[in-house]
Amino acid sequence: MSRSPFAGDAGESTSGAAGDAGESTSGTQRVVGGTAEMEALGRELGATLRAGDLVVLTGPLGAGKTTLTRGIGEALGVRGPITSPTFVLARTHPSLVGGPDLVHVDAYRLRDAVELDDLDIDYERSVVVAEWGHGLIEAESDSWLDVVIARPEGAGDDFDPADAPEEPRTVTITPHGPRWA
Amino acid sequence: MNRDAPLVLGIETSCDETGVGIVRGTRLLANTIASSMDEHARYGGVVPEVAARAHLEAMGPTLEAALAEAQVELADLDAVAVTSGPGLAGALMVGVGAAKALAVSLGKPLYAVNHLVGHVGADVLDAAGGPGHPIELPTIALLVSGGHTSLLHVRDLTADVELLGETIDDAAGEAFDKVARILGLPYPGGPQIDKAAEGGDPAAIRFPRGLSLPKDLERHRYDFSFSGLKTAVARWVEQRADASQPVPVADVAASFREAVVDVLVSKAVNACRDRGVPRLLLGGGVVANRRLREVATERCAAAGIELRIPALSLCTDNGAMIAALAAQLIMAGHGPSSLRFGADSTLPVTDIQVA
Repeated sequence: MSRSPFAGDAGESTSGAAGDAGESTSGTQRVVGGTAEMEALGRELGATLRAGDLVVLTGPLGAGKTTLTRGIGEALGVRGPITSPTFVLARTHPSLVGGPDLVHVDAYRLRDAVELDDLDIDYERSVVVAEWGHGLIEAESDSWLDVVIARPEGAGDDFDPADAPEEPRTVTITPHGPRWA
Repeated sequence: MNRDAPLVLGIETSCDETGVGIVRGTRLLANTIASSMDEHARYGGVVPEVAARAHLEAMGPTLEAALAEAQVELADLDAVAVTSGPGLAGALMVGVGAAKALAVSLGKPLYAVNHLVGHVGADVLDAAGGPGHPIELPTIALLVSGGHTSLLHVRDLTADVELLGETIDDAAGEAFDKVARILGLPYPGGPQIDKAAEGGDPAAIRFPRGLSLPKDLERHRYDFSFSGLKTAVARWVEQRADASQPVPVADVAASFREAVVDVLVSKAVNACRDRGVPRLLLGGGVVANRRLREVATERCAAAGIELRIPALSLCTDNGAMIAALAAQLIMAGHGPSSLRFGADSTLPVTDIQVA
């Protein structure tokens, strides 16, 4: 079983017993400088993912969830372009390299498990990345990676709206379940 | 088959409009649309499964209404046409299924065509409210809707369509929906933002123009990005709220809309200039946006570009454009599609007809 570098490389900030299904370690944190770095983090993360893996992405509008997913897709070698799935709820990007497909979900508008079920996602044969999926999609798997992206919010110093996309983000990655033990 | 002015029935179900249109060559006979928009409003956007079920319920009555309006019988048709993609998979399947059933039961040839090229094809039809004279090629086409933001160079409607650029994150219509969400306005965001922007100052806040810096223009000259703009609006509104200052909704809406429209029109006009094509065609639901039409009209006039905007009923999703494109294919001598094609949610725009 491959181990996520994000679960292992930050001993200082990792605590708690990993390994029991559903039990989590506290996450590792990364500060990400802008969109290019967010994509690079996605590529790094994507390189550790395989069929059956589930990534639950959390963060406010404009945090960089789709940007991170674009990096994951590049690492997996799937057909792009990876754009926002909001309008279609879920989009399947077929693998171009004989690996797992990437299913990119926006669960913001889904209200319950029945609506999630309607999307007919093939969890076993795909890597599933779910934006706004926290509290809903975890039930689909015994293991998942929680990825929380925080961007600056509220009042700041001399904020220029033009700089917003490139402001630094803090990304916290927390593995759950036996897959990441 | 009549190849001079074929009688074609077109079916379109790529999103939330069930469209059945009938054309004879380039003449529009019927354009009937049933929309499930109201059913989606409470979900804050189109829900594919809801759309698919609504298509299923609306298909029969919409078909009947189109035939009655055109005053033709199914047996009179020369061909049936349908959108194969791109669009919502489950929604597309309903139209594809209906079209195959019609074609097989009637023994008529079936043409499976591209939704986005269909938007351009709409402009061959002469409908009330349209430009009044037929499309000239080549043309640059800007297609903007909830699901698409694409810039095309169309040299031949049936054989040569080039994708110049598209959105790399959010579609323009989706950016309107999300900013409406930030401002506490309901879905769909386009008309809401338009209304909120009345009386607002479009220059009040300088929101970023996505992929418009010199370094971005090298790699993404004709691509669009609206995600950073959405972030900028969210940050700006949050700052105001945190400082307990009122949010000037009209100014935010007007400034946001200006940023979207500015980028859309600038890139389209650049494409016309770069390619030496003095024509720009607008299509897609966002064409309903008054400010987009105004800015496009001003800048095209200044640049000596002929701006073409089909009647709004032909800009939003409809079956007539699908019938019109298939009629063009037939008139150009193209054979029908095989019955093996299916719904293709990510059909590339270069695939004008699915074999």
